[in-house]
Amino acid sequence: MIGSIGKKLAAALLCATAFMPHAFEAHAAETLKFGAVYPTRNVIGTQAVAGAQLAVKMINDAGGVLGRPLEFVVYDSNFSPVDGVAGMQRLLTEDGIRYIAGVVSSTVALATIPVIESEGALAVFAIPKHPDVTASGYDGIFRMNSTTAIDAASFNGYLADVVAPEKVTMLGENSDFGLLSNKNMKALFGDKLVLTETFEVHQADFSAIASNAWGSGADLVCMAISNPEQTANVLRAMADLGYKPERCIMPGLLNSDLPRLAGEAAEGVFSEDVYLPSIDNELNRKFVSAYEASEGVTPGKIEVLAFEAVWALAKAIEIAGDADNLDAVKNALKTNEFEVLRGKVHFDETGQAISGTQYRIEVRDGKVVERKD
Amino acid sequence: MGDLVLQQLANGLSVGMTYALIALGLTMVFGVLHIVNFAHGEFYMLGGLVTALLTSRAGVPYLACLPAAAILVAAAGWATDRLAVRPVIGRPDGATIVLVATFAAGLIINETVLATLGPAPIRVDGIAGVVKLGPVSLTWQRIFAIVFGILLIAIFQIILRRTEFGRQLRAVAQSDYASRVIGLDVERIKSLTFILAACVAALAGALIAPILSFNAGMGYHTAIHGFVVVVIGTMGSIPGAVICGLGLGLLESVASIFIGQEIASACIYALLIVTLLFRPNGVFSRSA
Repeated sequence: MIGSIGKKLAAALLCATAFMPHAFEAHAAETLKFGAVYPTRNVIGTQAVAGAQLAVKMINDAGGVLGRPLEFVVYDSNFSPVDGVAGMQRLLTEDGIRYIAGVVSSTVALATIPVIESEGALAVFAIPKHPDVTASGYDGIFRMNSTTAIDAASFNGYLADVVAPEKVTMLGENSDFGLLSNKNMKALFGDKLVLTETFEVHQADFSAIASNAWGSGADLVCMAISNPEQTANVLRAMADLGYKPERCIMPGLLNSDLPRLAGEAAEGVFSEDVYLPSIDNELNRKFVSAYEASEGVTPGKIEVLAFEAVWALAKAIEIAGDADNLDAVKNALKTNEFEVLRGKVHFDETGQAISGTQYRIEVRDGKVVERKD
Repeated sequence: MGDLVLQQLANGLSVGMTYALIALGLTMVFGVLHIVNFAHGEFYMLGGLVTALLTSRAGVPYLACLPAAAILVAAAGWATDRLAVRPVIGRPDGATIVLVATFAAGLIINETVLATLGPAPIRVDGIAGVVKLGPVSLTWQRIFAIVFGILLIAIFQIILRRTEFGRQLRAVAQSDYASRVIGLDVERIKSLTFILAACVAALAGALIAPILSFNAGMGYHTAIHGFVVVVIGTMGSIPGAVICGLGLGLLESVASIFIGQEIASACIYALLIVTLLFRPNGVFSRSA
């Protein structure tokens, strides 16, 4: 009796699984997938995922991309090139995704480019800042964030002429971005750069580094740190020493998490960015209110860039008119202007997003606001 | 330069105390159970978590969180012992299986915290204020962590040297077989040691959380330093763990003045290799 039931169950299971692949293929044909590798166990990664998913929701609420619902698949890069490449390979080979909309770190982005190129996929990187990210020679790489070179063109002048420090200390994470920022500061300040410290992206106790900065007597301390947890720990360690020089964060990395984590130690910290939540356009107003409603906080730059990567890619596919024609989508990205959160953006011949205004910002009364000087 | 060296010595003492407390639990478990506990860093993280949640969400005063962290993490230690250590430790290759089992237990603890609370760090308000001692500045929280750490180590030594449990623990550390022959409940002593080690890790986490903020990844990286300290200071040696923990913290901080923080941190791993080459049983072992 039991054997007979077992046979019937096995037969039923066989029949069911025989039909499953067809059902799955039919579903996959309808859905358009974008992939990303973000450090999902870190704040910056969760912020990016939240921004990207809001873009997906807003696109799907408006009818999807060419009538197809959009799905966002993300794997953890853990800030590591090895994990990032593994995640990227999984997206491109196992999940069959052709469009990448998001990576945080330049180091991870640079490591994944050969994988993206070998699979002939198209990537709009959200947050990496290293100039080499759009200098690989592969025409399927685009980037939303400004580069360290673009930032330097605006921010360096401000640092050198308006802040005009006597001595400078540079604290940079051990990544392509951090090392390049250290180099840029050396070029800008020469002998005025009295101390350069490099540290691992997982370091937590910054008392020794803060003490060295204090010992250097610098009146300006600049930080090239992607992770707001680390920036907050540096600022708190400096405040514990009673050391409060002018403190700047390399452009594009100052957001509302810093005052939340560092408290009063973050007051007066300044930076520059291509985005402010108060930018007055319809898409940004809609984005900010939707984000505040779902997350309970005002969005920062990371969420914005992740949103914009998904948004610009989706608009390019719509302009191309065919999601399966990657060349047409690449061409659409290169030849059109896109309305994103910060305003109008176009991509130059290397795939770098170009937008107009840089905003000078600072932490004042626990909030990130525009700096007026 | 003199002021900076003094400041870095003070920093090193505080950093070293964290290493010492983490290493203390690890070395106890190794000394008595003869196993490597890969979940130890997560007990440290849980201590920070209990403190973070109680202070930030329940408004509990910081000092009251310390016993709460110790008790709650002791429960986690008990559960880990029951589920991941005891069932496998007696098997052939038990020590190797426990290594994997505790690694898995650590991952489960970490993933559970991440899945429940997310990766966002939580700021912990500890003992506020900064003390100026000449050119040296140190927060009250760091001073408290150093003093509390010293007290904890002293209490440990008293328990080990002056109490019945301490004598039993030392007996089991020397020989399982002989301890059983004289009628000691070896399994109970091993379990208590495992739970006690979890308590120490929890207190270390609770002491450090206000200094560095709580985040779910805090245990992993600290535990790596703890393992290094234990190996250099001789596995199973409590004085070795304490002296090497403090020594490495001081070395890392003072060396950073001359060679940069990243290289100073790498010096610890260089010391590990040198120790393994010339004193493979650790600097506090009786034999090379």
